[in-house]
Amino acid sequence: MPEGTLCNKQPIDTDEQLKALLGDKGGKVYYEEMKLLEVDQEKLQDTIRKTMKSRIKTWLKICAHCGMCADSCFLYRINDCDPKQVPAYKVQSTLGEMVRKKGRVDNAFMHMAMETAWAKCTCCNRCAMYCPHGIDMGVMVGYMRGLLYQQGFVPWEMKIGAGMHRVYRAQMDVTPEEFVDTFQWMVEEYEEEYAGLTVPVDKEGADIMYTVNAREVKHYPEDLAEAAILFTIAGEDWTIPSSGWELTSLAMFAGDWEACRMQVESVYDAMERLKPKRMIGTECGHAHRATVIEGPYWAGRPDGKPPVESIHYVEWVAEALRTGKLKIDPEKRIKKPVTLQDSCNYIRNHGLKEITREIMSYMVEPGYFFDMAPNKEHNYCCGGGGGFNGIGLYRPQRNKALITKRDQILGTGADLVIAPCHNCWDAIRDLEEEYEIGISWSFLKPLLIDMVIVPEHMKPEE
Amino acid sequence: MYAFLTGPMFYLSLAVFFIGLAVRVILYIRGLDWKLDRVAYRAHPKAGLKGALRSIGYWLVPFGTRSWRVQPFMTVIFFVFHIGAVIVPLFLLAHNMILKEKFGFSFFTLNPTLADVLTWGVLISAILLVLRRIALPEVRILTTGYDYFILAISVAPFVTGLICRYHVGDYSAWLLVHIAAGELLLILAPFTKLSHIVLYFMSRGQLGMDFGIKRGGMNGKPISW
Amino acid sequence: MFNKILFATSATEACDHAARVAFAMAEKYNAHLEIFHVLGLPTRAYSQVVIEVKTRERIEIDEGYCDWVKEEVRMYYERFLEKLGDRYAIEVAIGVTHREILRTARNTNPDLIVMGGSTHHLEDSAYRQLITGSTFQRVSGAAHCPVLVVTRPAASFWGGFSKIVVGTDFSESADAAVDYGIKLARSLDCELSLFHAVDISGLAMGQVMIQDDIEEKLRVARKKMRYRYLPKLEGFTDYSIDAWEGIPYMEIVKYTREKQADLVIMAHHARRFEEKKDARMGSNLEQVIVRAGCPVLSINRTVGRQVDAEK
Repeated sequence: MPEGTLCNKQPIDTDEQLKALLGDKGGKVYYEEMKLLEVDQEKLQDTIRKTMKSRIKTWLKICAHCGMCADSCFLYRINDCDPKQVPAYKVQSTLGEMVRKKGRVDNAFMHMAMETAWAKCTCCNRCAMYCPHGIDMGVMVGYMRGLLYQQGFVPWEMKIGAGMHRVYRAQMDVTPEEFVDTFQWMVEEYEEEYAGLTVPVDKEGADIMYTVNAREVKHYPEDLAEAAILFTIAGEDWTIPSSGWELTSLAMFAGDWEACRMQVESVYDAMERLKPKRMIGTECGHAHRATVIEGPYWAGRPDGKPPVESIHYVEWVAEALRTGKLKIDPEKRIKKPVTLQDSCNYIRNHGLKEITREIMSYMVEPGYFFDMAPNKEHNYCCGGGGGFNGIGLYRPQRNKALITKRDQILGTGADLVIAPCHNCWDAIRDLEEEYEIGISWSFLKPLLIDMVIVPEHMKPEE
Repeated sequence: MYAFLTGPMFYLSLAVFFIGLAVRVILYIRGLDWKLDRVAYRAHPKAGLKGALRSIGYWLVPFGTRSWRVQPFMTVIFFVFHIGAVIVPLFLLAHNMILKEKFGFSFFTLNPTLADVLTWGVLISAILLVLRRIALPEVRILTTGYDYFILAISVAPFVTGLICRYHVGDYSAWLLVHIAAGELLLILAPFTKLSHIVLYFMSRGQLGMDFGIKRGGMNGKPISW
Repeated sequence: MFNKILFATSATEACDHAARVAFAMAEKYNAHLEIFHVLGLPTRAYSQVVIEVKTRERIEIDEGYCDWVKEEVRMYYERFLEKLGDRYAIEVAIGVTHREILRTARNTNPDLIVMGGSTHHLEDSAYRQLITGSTFQRVSGAAHCPVLVVTRPAASFWGGFSKIVVGTDFSESADAAVDYGIKLARSLDCELSLFHAVDISGLAMGQVMIQDDIEEKLRVARKKMRYRYLPKLEGFTDYSIDAWEGIPYMEIVKYTREKQADLVIMAHHARRFEEKKDARMGSNLEQVIVRAGCPVLSINRTVGRQVDAEK
């Protein structure tokens, strides 16, 4: 069974393997090797038999081929209504074929399936809302990603991402020491302006345990400072865990379920260790989905809940503004046209649609907020979800996918897009770079920092 | 022949239909796996039930969901087809006379004119469904011969029923064909896509539980389908 | 005063003037020079692509590439490096420019950071959000050491510090800037001029200011400077104290020219999270930087506190 040195069926488990894969610029060798990678048909069939239960089996069988899902898919619409982009077709021609052929598929088929799984679906689950039978094609593509990952047919960046989680329990090579050190550094940098600013590390029994996205630590540590400032202004009893601080999971995008389990267990361990009242994650959509929505199942928790109540950052912000823990200076409310990006992963897939709008009602001067159409649970994906943003191989497809969001934003006439999700934020930044429509975009934190009233005791002494 | 079709075959087809579909339901439920499906079915029965009922209910109402509203043409032909296909066989006067004779009970019966309208509705919407399959590229690419087969066996009892209704050709021969077509439909239902007669409720219910339990149902306002 | 200097550079023409000063300082004061270059902005979520700072091309990074860039930087500054012997190091990093400069400064603890002019070509892109307010603003706002900026060629033909001007608005950080100026003047044996500008820019906008009032303000300012700073200048003779009226940054530039000074020291107030009204001096500082005929050294509150602590 020929397997490449870089492209193979083995997950990445050591730093050396990671370095070797990273050293292969753009995955050139990796993708060359993939062309020769053999499909382990028996294993494929065996896995399908063991893991495909009545839900997906039924979905595949009862699909009435009615095509009502077509228009629900932004990738179908943006690609000139190419019938090959109809969600049902995308699933039937890939996963459906694998099942019908009992796993007897070849390398070329797997390449096609890989492109379908990562470049023709962002797992936004919008089609699930348009199928009369309640068939969730996003879930099926997610399932298929697992099969493809097991067979080694996975985009280079996804393999690296999953490997990072396996080696570092973070999506980037950030160690616990670096995390804590960076957080402390940021607090030092801002303690001049905000008296009493601290970052409690590994404090047991705090009200809040805060978890982040490794990218913040690596490249945008201001985000950490902003979180610390807002928690402190709100008078929260909070802490960060020195390990188990990574909320995200590229392993989920990759379909590496084992790595998903390892990743969330590190966060759950931190919860068990520190026993906080609640866990709050940063402004990230997929991370919330991975750790709070799907994670409990990977970790085998029968109640489907993390060990302690876990909420998204927007839930905390809404609560803090509602209860007056954070007070906004009415003078400083946003007075330019603003729109809001609904992240699929916690709006459609976790019901937080009203929460984010409540936040807007506090932050934006009445009359300046414009919703996209469609919105809430019917909103379109930013164009970069499910791993699409990060995969170099599918960059042209991704850039085209951004047009949907571009036109939605243009339709609102907004100057500022508030995107409380890392993936959406990245996609909107990229769409501005690609299409230059003259918008700005932001997370909630920096906007809040500019408008909240700082209590007297936190003002710098002169 | 008539005696066979209305005797043993009648009972057999009903038995296959009901037992077959019941087995389908049981297998479906037994095949649910909270860990693989990533839905904690048992842990949150209330939220699950609410989600399931909402999910099934909204979709049973014409224009009850956004999907129905944005595709009105499909919605109309879909509901005309399905309403006719469910109501006519159950509540047709002639069928209820047989029911009474065989099992000693009957349902209320349809006004004959309404029954005609509904049956023609099934026929016309079936033709439109076929045309839609041919005309729209996004449906054409999905369509297989199997889809036409399913449509054909579903519509056959209605076509033959109408032929009998208007006494076209040899009545007793067409009546036999009509009964055979109906029984074929009953027998095939559990083994084909027609199993969606029950699996629709399962699948919709499952997704409703998924959204109701895991994906936000216990978290603020429920999803608006 | 200057044992370790961090020179943050784009290794392009934009930093040539700063380079001249950085290398001359390292040579003159026997300092170790760390030449630091941020070669790419991270992009694309978790993809491995970065945007090359110089060419704006999208590239993929590996260790070989970093080594190659280091070599490029070395070649670029070859003629200066000869004079430093082994008193230098070249480092490159990937990330958001100001953040990486601050990160390395935090690790190596230099006595001074030297920076060049703006990299404005980057700011017209979608990345402007990442580097708004310019890299300088952010570095000088948060650094734990003074930051020296050289943007104009005229500011770079420089033979060491001999005449220093310190601009003050009597704020806490400005006092720290004065302290630092005094310390520097003492240790390098320079002439020191303390200067305050009374802001009359309101006049241009139709605000009425009677000349007597202005002159009264000037008198008060001079008195205040003497009261505040004379005790600190004990034993030091080569100083002058002046207050002029006008647009503050213009007056500072004019004053510096008249004094033929080779260094202006000013306080940096503005920090990102601060209210805009406090950023006035910050914008004065930026204006002086782009106009002055000599390098400009900025001192923020953190550095001010350190200077205080040393006293």
